Amino acid sequence: MAVIDVRGLRKVYGGRPVVDGVSFSVEDGEIFGILGPNGAGKTTTVESIAGLRRPDGGSISVAGLDPTKEDPAFREAVGVQLQEARLPEKQTVAEALELYSSFYAQPRDWRELAERLGLIEQRNTYFGRLSGGQKQRLSVALALIGNPRVAILDELTTGLDPAARREVWGLLEDLRGTGVTLLLVSHFMEEAERLCDRVIVIDHGRVIAADTPESLAAGVVADQRMSFVPSAAVDLSRLKDLPDVRTVASSGDRVVVTGTENVAAAVVIALHERGIQAFHLRVDQPNLDDAFIALTHHDDHAASTDPPADPPADPVAVGSGMRTGALR
Amino acid sequence: MSVTTPDLVAGASLGNRSRTADAMRAMLKSEARLLARNPGVVVWSVVLPVAAAIVLACIPAIRRPSEDYGGLSFFHVYQPILILFAVTLLAVQALPDVLTRYREMGVLKRLRTTPASPALLLSAQLALTLLVSIGCTVLMTVVPALVGASWPRNVAGFALAYLLAAWALLGLGLLIASLFRNARVAAGLGTLLFFVLEFFAGLWLQRPNMPAWLRHISDFTPSGAGTQALTDSAVGHWPQLLHLVVLAAWGAAMSTASVRLFSWE
Repeated sequence: MAVIDVRGLRKVYGGRPVVDGVSFSVEDGEIFGILGPNGAGKTTTVESIAGLRRPDGGSISVAGLDPTKEDPAFREAVGVQLQEARLPEKQTVAEALELYSSFYAQPRDWRELAERLGLIEQRNTYFGRLSGGQKQRLSVALALIGNPRVAILDELTTGLDPAARREVWGLLEDLRGTGVTLLLVSHFMEEAERLCDRVIVIDHGRVIAADTPESLAAGVVADQRMSFVPSAAVDLSRLKDLPDVRTVASSGDRVVVTGTENVAAAVVIALHERGIQAFHLRVDQPNLDDAFIALTHHDDHAASTDPPADPPADPVAVGSGMRTGALR
Repeated sequence: MSVTTPDLVAGASLGNRSRTADAMRAMLKSEARLLARNPGVVVWSVVLPVAAAIVLACIPAIRRPSEDYGGLSFFHVYQPILILFAVTLLAVQALPDVLTRYREMGVLKRLRTTPASPALLLSAQLALTLLVSIGCTVLMTVVPALVGASWPRNVAGFALAYLLAAWALLGLGLLIASLFRNARVAAGLGTLLFFVLEFFAGLWLQRPNMPAWLRHISDFTPSGAGTQALTDSAVGHWPQLLHLVVLAAWGAAMSTASVRLFSWE
């Protein structure tokens, strides 16, 4: 059963459609991601779903309710974590959680929630004194305090250092299977890959792709890329002649080869035949980042603001350093 | 003296009155704590009028009836003005300051995502500001009386006049607080409104000395009606019905409008 159903959503600002016919539905208990570059219309979309913006067209139903009515039953059912929403500087974590739990019919136990979010130590700390990660976790806690059926989390890890980001992800993974449906907005592909059951990619106010993160990544025609340090000098032109190889380059000791998905095996076998060993071997496979870039950078560079600023590292083989090549 | 909106929180409609009460209590407690931690504006709003009332009461000449004020003493004329001076400052400066800051910071936007209604926050603010101003009024009545000025002769009338005047003035403050996003714009408007209200209260030209037409206008302002109602009670009469009705009408209209027009962002 779809707990969120969006049909033909439109929102126009100053004559310019920011959201232009977005449709999707989210099943009960799913973790659903909305991806897209900055300015693509993600926040407008979720703020409409959260009942904070009035759509200019289309229909939205969340847990069977109409968000534009903003009635208390809707607020009970939907927890929201917003970008740029703060608390009074001198409110402590415990006070905020206690206050917010008083608004709901069946709130979660805020102590347990604080414990789970690693905020229990900070319970008597003023909001103004919390670190960025702690503020975000408190923000997530406030979105969940009312025991919502749906929690909407907008850019919840933006501005967090990698350690804090992983902490927040860990929390959301814990929520999987507790029945709460999560709607996640992100421009971190790694986040979506790790957490989401399904994603849509929005660009220029339209849905340009909808799938599971894996299928989306797999659907991208992108080269495999491998690199290694050979134990002896290698004839690069020989490697280039291999059927699976498309490009060969070297930088310092390191040789970088791209090609089909068999390229790694083909190169290692070819080297082996010549008695050469490949040290520090790295193989990167296309990930959601590549899919994202391939999807959103096909036409122009107007929207090319920021693919993730810091390198999400997920090589399949050795090491953890190299990022998938700039496949644009 | 709270805003009369039935559903402060979700569930009130389900007959869950205790939850509305819980939310109200939690909100009051929270706002009171925040006020105690950040008392700045509130303290400055009340220091001057409280000190002035006490100082005036200490000067015997000021307590003597005078023909200049239609047989009232200077103290009788100024005590109500100073009492409403404190309420007005709290209402149009301190109250909007808190709420417009919340709006600027996104505190209200976050609150909007919960079942809490604007009326909950507004009533909590109204109640707290009212408490502070009642405290000031007690100081401004009791301390002068202890040093030799007269007690209000009709205490019940005085209290009634005071509460209605406070409701009317705080309602005006709530309306400013409901509408503006920029704390500085709200403060500027509050200051302007403050001078207008003080003028009609008789801070510069006392009501007994106003030309009749000006006094009639003043009768219909919250500060003018409030001052007269307090003065009448202080000398032992009951406030005139006109003034009580004017005050109640301002109070009801302003607090209803502030809930209706409340903007979260």
